[in-house]
Amino acid sequence: MSKASVYSSPGFDFSNLVRNNFLHEKGLPLPKATSTGTTIVGCVYKDGIVLGADTRATEGDIVADKNCEKIHYITESIRCCGAGTAADTEFTTALISSNMELHTLQSGRKPRVVTAMTMLKQMLFRYQGHVGAALVLGGVDATGPHLFTIHPHGSTDKLPYVTMGSGSLAAMAVFESGWQPNMDRDQALNLVKAAIAAGIFNDLGSGSNVDACVITASSTEMLRNVEMPNVRVQKERDYKFRRGTTAWKKEEVRSLITEESVTLLTGGDEMDTS
Amino acid sequence: MSSLRLVPANTTKAASVQDTKGSFGLHDTLQYGPRGLAVEIKSQGSLKDRLENWEETQDNLKLNLQRNVHGMHLPMRVLMERKLVATQPNFMGSLMGTSNVHLDVLMGRDETIEPADVFLGMDSGHPVDVRKEFERRYNL
Repeated sequence: MSKASVYSSPGFDFSNLVRNNFLHEKGLPLPKATSTGTTIVGCVYKDGIVLGADTRATEGDIVADKNCEKIHYITESIRCCGAGTAADTEFTTALISSNMELHTLQSGRKPRVVTAMTMLKQMLFRYQGHVGAALVLGGVDATGPHLFTIHPHGSTDKLPYVTMGSGSLAAMAVFESGWQPNMDRDQALNLVKAAIAAGIFNDLGSGSNVDACVITASSTEMLRNVEMPNVRVQKERDYKFRRGTTAWKKEEVRSLITEESVTLLTGGDEMDTS
Repeated sequence: MSSLRLVPANTTKAASVQDTKGSFGLHDTLQYGPRGLAVEIKSQGSLKDRLENWEETQDNLKLNLQRNVHGMHLPMRVLMERKLVATQPNFMGSLMGTSNVHLDVLMGRDETIEPADVFLGMDSGHPVDVRKEFERRYNL
């Protein structure tokens, strides 16, 4: 019997570990988790935060999802963009969202962005980087707007504008030349759209459409597919035949109902209380 | 003496080839039987040990800090309360699952959700224990 302990189990099954280590030492390559290319950005403006993300999920060289959602819900005024392994980011953000809700119910106060950041960084540090989730966390709470990045090993940064993912360099180039403090909403949204577009067009792992999310102290506006620079063109050829290609000779409509009569069952609609 | 370690230590592997070697320095099959995988592996399961010992290490840290700040009595009281609460009334072999709310409250995890809560089901206990459990209760 195991420790019979007061501690909870880690939740994962390690029974294949000895076998896998043996095979690895004999030279068998271990399977790598596929990581998705992404461009995610966030920036602080006068009234709050704007987050942006592309919408392509890749599986090696294939596009697995042309229009996935990378801006995840943490609380009403806090959102988190996720890059890295898609399953890891979704599970981590869902877990932290549940924990934040429980924490809010227990404390009775509006949740803070630093709480979510601390929960995320402690969890990612515990897994030593094996949970491949690189996150951009942003939100507005009682102390103001905050923007953080969290790397897979658990380190965090607090910055006024951040980018993560494989397209982060292209997006950061746009930010570095365009960001100013105290922008208004339209300027900030245009800057974020330009940064994500730079990632979409210059990075193979990012593509499809632009998602954005504008968070202020009073409201959160989720702008799904705010810009769609990759709409498929209309096909030049068509499979339909033009009306009049062949002439039809005869038209006959046959009704499948030959006779119809309504019979009322005994008692009608009343409940049977016999 | 009191260690304020935050992260579980890398322990050295328990079994090694040197335990079963004969006069040639190789595994002595005649005496110990065929070679097993557990002694062949050179590397340790570092993530596994880290995750399994994580909560225990954090708990030891808290108890050590409590001892340093408040004195010996406080960790003793905390451990006493846990021990009182941790006897699990396993109603006929954990058909409905074992969940000890008092223990969760004392350990501070009654208002959090962990991956273990989501991925439950593997650690549901051994089926042989039902007989042992019944024997224990019958002799009671």
